[in-house]
Amino acid sequence: MESRKLYNRIAVLRKEREVSRKELAKKIGVNYQTIGYLEREEYNPSLDLAFKISEYFDLPVELIFSPEPLKPLSQELKELHHRKN
Amino acid sequence: MNQTIQKTKNRGWMLLNYLSLIAIVVLFNLGKYHQWSTGISIAGIASVVIFIGTFWRAFLRTRFWKMVHMSSQKLDEREISLVLNALKYSYSIFTILCIVIIYAFAITGIQLVDVVLAGGLLYLAHTLPAVVVGWNEKSVIDFDQ
Repeated sequence: MESRKLYNRIAVLRKEREVSRKELAKKIGVNYQTIGYLEREEYNPSLDLAFKISEYFDLPVELIFSPEPLKPLSQELKELHHRKN
Repeated sequence: MNQTIQKTKNRGWMLLNYLSLIAIVVLFNLGKYHQWSTGISIAGIASVVIFIGTFWRAFLRTRFWKMVHMSSQKLDEREISLVLNALKYSYSIFTILCIVIIYAFAITGIQLVDVVLAGGLLYLAHTLPAVVVGWNEKSVIDFDQ
């Protein structure tokens, strides 16, 4: 079975928090190269790894991963704000 | 470093390593069944030197060898799936190759199964998973940090 491509915001979040690939890899228990694969969306993480990443960034998993191309985070927050009001 | 160039280089070193292995087997049998001439001896030594050098460059320096022989507890989920995939493909390739050799010997009546051929097949069985990883992966070492 061919799995769907998963889009993610790992690269943006990592740069925003000024964390290196090596540091992030160490925190979530993977090889630092795997972070590169995840950021380039060349590898779909397991559910466990996706939760580890969301726990590390302290964000809901659906805000980091999506089966559809992700909009910029600022735009998504703006839309969320509009929906609330 | 450009990862595509790195991948092509790795493939080249792996091919050269296997070509030198074939050369060793052929030259050993030439010497054994004909005569150990100076030319065959020099070519044989050169093949062994190239074989050792390319083994270091293609498998040890790139860490492909280490990766496929590492305990799965030391690998992450992506690496485990990569190694399992490599083992699956190398098993198929090795089986087909052995069957081809056995049938070729059976059909032609040649009986060349000796220590060098057996050693070569043993080497192939051990390195094929690393070749499959190296053929598809840019590198185990991160060059674009």
